[in-house]
Amino acid sequence: MASGATLDWRAQLAVFERMLLMRHFEEAVMRLFKEGHLPSHYHVYIGQEATGAAALEAIDKEDLICTTHRGHGHVVGRGADPGRGLAEILGRSTGFNGGRGGTLHLCDRSHNFLSTSGLVGSCAGLAAGAAYGVKTLGQSKVVAAFFGDGSLEEGLVLEVFNIAGLWKLPLIMVCENNSGGAIGIQGGGYPTSVTSAQHLSRIPECYGITTAVVDGTDVVEVYEALIAAVERARSGGGTTFIEAMTERWPGNQGLWPELATATDLRDAWDPSRSAGPHAKWLQQYDPVLRLARELVAGTMASQEDLLALDKKVRDRIDAAAEFAIASPPPTADTAADGVFAS
Amino acid sequence: MSTRSSSDRKKGPSSPPLPPRDEVLALLRQMKLIRGFEEHVRALAASGQIPGLVHLCAGQEAVAVGVCSVLRASDWMASNHRGHGHCIAKGARTDLLLAEVMGRRPGYGLGRSGTLHIFDVENGNLGTNGIVGGGIPLAAGAALSARVRGDGTVAVAFFGDGALNQGLLSEVMNMAAVWKLPALFICENNGYGEFTAIEDVTAGRIIDRGAVFDMARETVDGMDVLAVRAAAHRAVQLARAGDGPTFLVCNTYRYSGHHVTDRQEYKDDAEVKKWKDLDPINQLAQRLLSDELVKPHDLESLDMEIAAEMAAALDFARGAANPTADDLGKYLYA
Amino acid sequence: MHEVRTVTYRAAVLEALSAEMRRDPNVVLLGEDIGAAGGVLKQTDGLFAEFGAARVIDTPISESGAFGMAVGAAMTGLRPVFEVMFGDFITLVMDQLVNQAAKVHYMSAGQFRVPLVLRTAGGIGANLGAQHSQSLHAWVAHIPGLKVVMPSTPADAKGLMITAIRDDNPVIYFEDRMLYTQRGAVQGDDQSIPFGLADIKRVGEDVTLVATSRMVGVALEAAARLVEEGISAEIVDPRSLVPLDLDTIVASVRKTSRAIVIDGGYLQYGVTGEIAAAIAEHAFDWLDCPVLRLGAENLPVPFSKTLEPLFLPDSARIAAAAKALVRGDAIPGGNYG
Repeated sequence: MASGATLDWRAQLAVFERMLLMRHFEEAVMRLFKEGHLPSHYHVYIGQEATGAAALEAIDKEDLICTTHRGHGHVVGRGADPGRGLAEILGRSTGFNGGRGGTLHLCDRSHNFLSTSGLVGSCAGLAAGAAYGVKTLGQSKVVAAFFGDGSLEEGLVLEVFNIAGLWKLPLIMVCENNSGGAIGIQGGGYPTSVTSAQHLSRIPECYGITTAVVDGTDVVEVYEALIAAVERARSGGGTTFIEAMTERWPGNQGLWPELATATDLRDAWDPSRSAGPHAKWLQQYDPVLRLARELVAGTMASQEDLLALDKKVRDRIDAAAEFAIASPPPTADTAADGVFAS
Repeated sequence: MSTRSSSDRKKGPSSPPLPPRDEVLALLRQMKLIRGFEEHVRALAASGQIPGLVHLCAGQEAVAVGVCSVLRASDWMASNHRGHGHCIAKGARTDLLLAEVMGRRPGYGLGRSGTLHIFDVENGNLGTNGIVGGGIPLAAGAALSARVRGDGTVAVAFFGDGALNQGLLSEVMNMAAVWKLPALFICENNGYGEFTAIEDVTAGRIIDRGAVFDMARETVDGMDVLAVRAAAHRAVQLARAGDGPTFLVCNTYRYSGHHVTDRQEYKDDAEVKKWKDLDPINQLAQRLLSDELVKPHDLESLDMEIAAEMAAALDFARGAANPTADDLGKYLYA
Repeated sequence: MHEVRTVTYRAAVLEALSAEMRRDPNVVLLGEDIGAAGGVLKQTDGLFAEFGAARVIDTPISESGAFGMAVGAAMTGLRPVFEVMFGDFITLVMDQLVNQAAKVHYMSAGQFRVPLVLRTAGGIGANLGAQHSQSLHAWVAHIPGLKVVMPSTPADAKGLMITAIRDDNPVIYFEDRMLYTQRGAVQGDDQSIPFGLADIKRVGEDVTLVATSRMVGVALEAAARLVEEGISAEIVDPRSLVPLDLDTIVASVRKTSRAIVIDGGYLQYGVTGEIAAAIAEHAFDWLDCPVLRLGAENLPVPFSKTLEPLFLPDSARIAAAAKALVRGDAIPGGNYG
């Protein structure tokens, strides 16, 4: 992982590849659902890749992570095997959780994830506890928690702010606020945040926690905020709360994610392709396209380079999907395994 | 040991003019009544006449009295475990209250509930509460009810600094702010949650817990009943006008321990003396004397009146029957 | 009104809600995404349009605080129906439910009532995993001061919801979301079903199957299998766990002399234990064999498509257990921990 104060172009390319991995992984999930391999509801990370990918660049392999129901991106972005990730989402025995957790509980301990909970807000509690453990044991790790804006409605999270602020825990709380757009209560659509705080980051500030608000689609801004938070945590300076703002992906409207369009990098540099209902998304908000556009414009990579990278990632995900589909489901005789640690 | 200094108390912009004499005397009477009640309870507990534990509020009277003095009987109030003062200030009868605390049948809870579960519907009292923070949502729910029914009432939640870190409080304050509910959130900051000083467990400034939710808020000298009353009045006006909730942080002090058997080893004498010098009853009495609104003998009469009321309450409660086995199953369901 | 219509379970509950909201302006709904969105499974569809934001209230994700407010609102004149989105999340409201709502009437010696309904949907079978599949009705049935109901059909769903709203006590109304699309006959708006009245869903002679919620339908399928074996099963649906109509259950067991209790909660320390023990106490001399219990496996619910169906007793397992009782055979592998 990079450790410089900002992202050089090589690091940006690494971040971009990670974003492609996250994006194509989620597209595979949606495709597999359409084909009937996936039994249930799921949540995709589309539109938030810049935040996760840049944040992951700032933390080390040994640092701990906790995520939520919208966590596929964090898990594969961290380097966990996408084949096992898809297998888990399909409920196969080769998945990270043996096919028992599925999309809501995807985690990989070998990549230093804590358990993933489907209960809004609980990520903060688990992560703070891990941070307390790290501090008590005198380790130099940090703990990064990724959760959404809705989490701040749960009292538990505010209890965590109080304790983290008081005990200066080595904790980085990354709040991915994807309610920035008109979608939500004002738009008369699917309600998300119902909070009286004018700015979410004001809440942890009142507990003495350092905060930062960043454009969640800007990998450099996200990275720089994370690096500062990591340094603060490692040096005993305590907790940071980073609010990363993104626009909600249009496919996330309503209960069931729909593929608005399949990601095609050519949309990044050929505006004639992006007419139609999702033009604004493609031209302004999609973080993958945005970074592709910037890499080309900054001559850090050519269109051909990026398309080749994209193909490499797609091929990898296709192989992962094949692996998942071919994997066996868990058998009945294993159902009771692991209820208790022996 | 709490490290708060007396400069934490924010005095209002130079002492405002006194309300009419009768009203001020009523405030003094209420505070003295609460003080007398708690003194009797303390003695009864020490002599083993009260089952379980009690939590006394001597020293904090100005907050209960100041706030309740601007409420109507039909306004709602939820209290906490340190609630005798709230109950009396909201109109509870001392004889029935004492009976309940002593576990006697004529008490507010048939003698089965005790100090932690005192309800008084005629005076809008939603109950003292054994769960820290447990009454806060009840009061906010009453405010929601008032809003939906359009009956113009307001609701008050009393809680201590120890409840500040309950996530529940944040959830409720958020909703009250978003929905502009007619609610008052009164934090009686006496510096201790049980045996632990507030600074040891609370990050940031207490008043900022109201800032979080963009709510009207004030820090108030909780030893000055007139300051409390004025702040509560502002809050009630706001609430009745539909302009939403207020968070009041009233800095005060409890002379007793967390409960009656707490030996208070976490306090030091200098701190106790400092707060006793600010005693709310003495403050008001001194003000009345120096403004020549009363003479010393008026205060003596008042003390005798209260002693008589308490003696009657004590007689009543001591002589009252215990609940019987037949009373055990009553009121489980409506 | 006695016209009979066929509607889904979900629609039946919705009919009860709208009828009661029209009848009584103090009935309000609170929950997450129940307003303009009409509920995550469209279970409050149309109510926001008809009754508006003042009476169909979207709360933040603050179950504990919001439910506590529902208790306070119920104490002060409203009649809230509070939705907990998934049955598992009842854990988040437990303090306000157990230590406040259940006890206020008792502790205040009748001064305050808490006329509220907490509705929630459990239901293993949607592959939602361990934190989104539980039905924790046994937990709340354990608490004095609460009432607990579990409708198994659209008619029961409608009738029990009407009664729940009109009851002046806290009522926990457990739905099974796997029943939402099940269709059945319902009658007019005023058809309330009293609590404490079990329903014999099938008359039989040889064995009593006491079943709750979705297990009623599974027991009916088992009964159809058993007909082929010449065994006639009687199915008793308690409909309300608290108060429980033990008389009907006991009368049935005294008739058949055999009993199996089937419930969708975890078997260990569950509802089946309570009912089985009560049957043993009241019908011991009529029983030819021990009372059996069948319930959900004592395991966190796995998300997997192959494992999840193993979780609940199916009609084959119920039929096999009934047959074994009738024939006097050894009981085939039940789930006894």
